[in-house]
Amino acid sequence: MANGIGELTVEGVNHSYGTGKIKVPVLHQISLHINKGEFIALCGTSGSGKSTLLNLLAGLTRPDEGSVWLNGEEISRFNENQLCLFRRKCIGFIFQSYNLLPNLTALENVELPLIFAGEGVRKRRERAKAILHQVGLGERLDHKPNELSGGQQQRVSIARALVNQPQIVLADEPTGNLDSATEKEILALMRQMNREIGTTFVVVTHDQEVAHQADRVIYLQDGWIKRIENARTANEVQLT
Amino acid sequence: MRGLDSFRIVWRNLWRMKLRTILTSVGVMIGTAAIVAMISLSLGLKENAVKSLESWGNLTQMEIAPAFRSPDGTFIPDEEQRKLDKEAVQILKQIPEITQVMPTKRLHADSKLKIGRREGYVELIGVEPRESAASKKADLEKGTFLSGAKNEIVVSYDVLQQLVDVEKERREARKRNAQRNTRAAEMMPPEMGEGGGELKLDVVGKAAVIVLTRQYTVDDEPKFEKREIRVRVVGQEHKLDNPRYGPVAYVPLDMITELNEWVNQGMEEELQESGSSVRKTRTRANADKNNTIYDEITVKAASREVVETVVKKVQENGFEVYSPARELEQINQFFFVIQMILGGIAAVSLLVASIGIVNTMIMSILERTREIGIMKVIGATVYNIRWLFLIESGFIGLIGGVTGLGLAYGAVALINTLAKNSGAMEQFGFRGGPGPEEQLAQIAVVPIWLALFAIGFAFVIGLLAGIFPAFRASRLSALQAIRSD
Ligand SMILES: Nc1ncnc2c1ncn2[C@@H]1O[C@H](COP(=O)(O)OP(=O)(O)OP(=O)(O)O)[C@@H](O)[C@H]1O
Ligand SMILES: [Mg+2]
Repeated sequence: MANGIGELTVEGVNHSYGTGKIKVPVLHQISLHINKGEFIALCGTSGSGKSTLLNLLAGLTRPDEGSVWLNGEEISRFNENQLCLFRRKCIGFIFQSYNLLPNLTALENVELPLIFAGEGVRKRRERAKAILHQVGLGERLDHKPNELSGGQQQRVSIARALVNQPQIVLADEPTGNLDSATEKEILALMRQMNREIGTTFVVVTHDQEVAHQADRVIYLQDGWIKRIENARTANEVQLT
Repeated sequence: MRGLDSFRIVWRNLWRMKLRTILTSVGVMIGTAAIVAMISLSLGLKENAVKSLESWGNLTQMEIAPAFRSPDGTFIPDEEQRKLDKEAVQILKQIPEITQVMPTKRLHADSKLKIGRREGYVELIGVEPRESAASKKADLEKGTFLSGAKNEIVVSYDVLQQLVDVEKERREARKRNAQRNTRAAEMMPPEMGEGGGELKLDVVGKAAVIVLTRQYTVDDEPKFEKREIRVRVVGQEHKLDNPRYGPVAYVPLDMITELNEWVNQGMEEELQESGSSVRKTRTRANADKNNTIYDEITVKAASREVVETVVKKVQENGFEVYSPARELEQINQFFFVIQMILGGIAAVSLLVASIGIVNTMIMSILERTREIGIMKVIGATVYNIRWLFLIESGFIGLIGGVTGLGLAYGAVALINTLAKNSGAMEQFGFRGGPGPEEQLAQIAVVPIWLALFAIGFAFVIGLLAGIFPAFRASRLSALQAIRSD
């Protein structure tokens, strides 16, 4: 499978939840390819399987069938610990509910991935500060999450996702909890990071606003890829 | 992840849950304190027992006696028992681990020692000057030990107390009586005479007289015969902590042999006259003449390590051995059992404590499920998570161990103070040596190895208790962990 750094490929993935006899199929024959530096929006109604697909890409779930390739490696074959190491090196993850550790400051939250990577104190502090400045939180380093607004928390979480300089960032409804003004800021920030660093972004969203910003939009319906839309050129690729 | 960082994270987590950390480690603390206090108490008791044994006698010295039981347990009749005779001394001398064989013989009669105007009853003990010199020299305060020359004696410290000026005593007694009669109403403070006080009497180098009396009956009338031997006091022993004999005078063995003969002759004559069991005594007396039977044979082993070997070899030759070292062995066994029991009790309490740790750790996994999930998503490996939880529970054990050790030190100090003040040491039969008081006043001691062992043990207990929770935490699915709210 031709697949390089920063690229994602999904091939013939079927996935279902539940164990034993009662199996609920969630994803059907998903195949797609995402290029390095692309900004992808994943759209669809609630329950269509967007989060499930994103978790497969992050290696948080393993597909029942098919394969998932990231950075040229077939992560669907990795064991638990290999997946952890792979995430540490190559993937940044952004949650809808931020998921910052409540008893650590903003700076410490951003430092955490570097701590696990075994980075020295000086270097990791420098990097974490720099990235927090980039997301506009240079003045809020020592604030705990509960002392920050939702938008600020999501900025911290973006900084945390990017601090390891991953090739791919996956975000599950990153603006779902935010008002529209803040949502625009956050989106602009992600887009900016995508352009400046060249990181591939896959963003799950309900929002047309987000979809408009993306290079491509993938529409899911009941676990099927309904269509992939090239937002910029407005060329629609209808899938049968 | 770097070690220092993981310690910092663990410390933060423990600090965040201060109360729970403390409560959980209290179990370990009590267990550790119990272990340390109990072991140190039994170590201290044992040390005291050994010390008092050591002050009782040199551990390399052993008493030899004829064995009255054969190895298979049957009694050996009197006639077949080994004799403590010259042959026995030769046999004992053959054993390479024995450096000295010291036979002694007592005088079988009363004897009085006169030095100047003072006199008192002392026991005469005959020793081989050459054999005994080496070990006896150490006990000397003044003068020299018997050189082997005739009519030399060495006296024990107690002899000094024993010797009193009979004439003076009598005079003073009369005086006191007179005073009591004339001034009965007035309470006189008791006069501190020379008689009772700790007077420094110097007898070394002085001439002395040993007075023996033998008694026999002629026509139902008791007859006394006196014999006086002029001797010179050449040495005096210092005060011994646990003297084997009271007031004694050591004399050359030959002298005792001769004096015993003289005393026995009197008895023989008496027996001949009364006409009963003459032959038996006579044969014994004859045997005495030809082959001296000693009262005691003391042997000295080359070192404490070979005492066991000596005991075995001596027993193989048909003798029984009595030595403080053998009692030491029994003390060792006794305290080993005690330590095992106490250790068992403490082990159970630590087991309970470790179950407490397991419980706490599982609780905090439930609480921190989401956190674990987040950490796994942002780059923590399975091993990182496992390590963090293992260290955390190890730390709980360590905290318990360190505080428990502190508690044990406190308890030990308390026990020692109480024991000192209540005079428990005397009750236990421990007597202070010549050194400073506190040398024996420690009823419990915490050796450094015990302190280190306790802390290490508590830490290991914590680690072991953490294994199951750590695996459980590391196996959590990141996705499910994050979903949990
Ligand atoms: N852990 C699970 N066990 C069983 N079924 C699940 C599980 N997670 C999701 N599902 C089911 O899979 C389907 C897809 O869920 P998923 O969360 O991927 O949808 P979604 O597109 O992200 O929806 P939303 O926009 O509401 O977040 C749903 O029907 C859901 O009920
Ligand atoms: Mg979803």
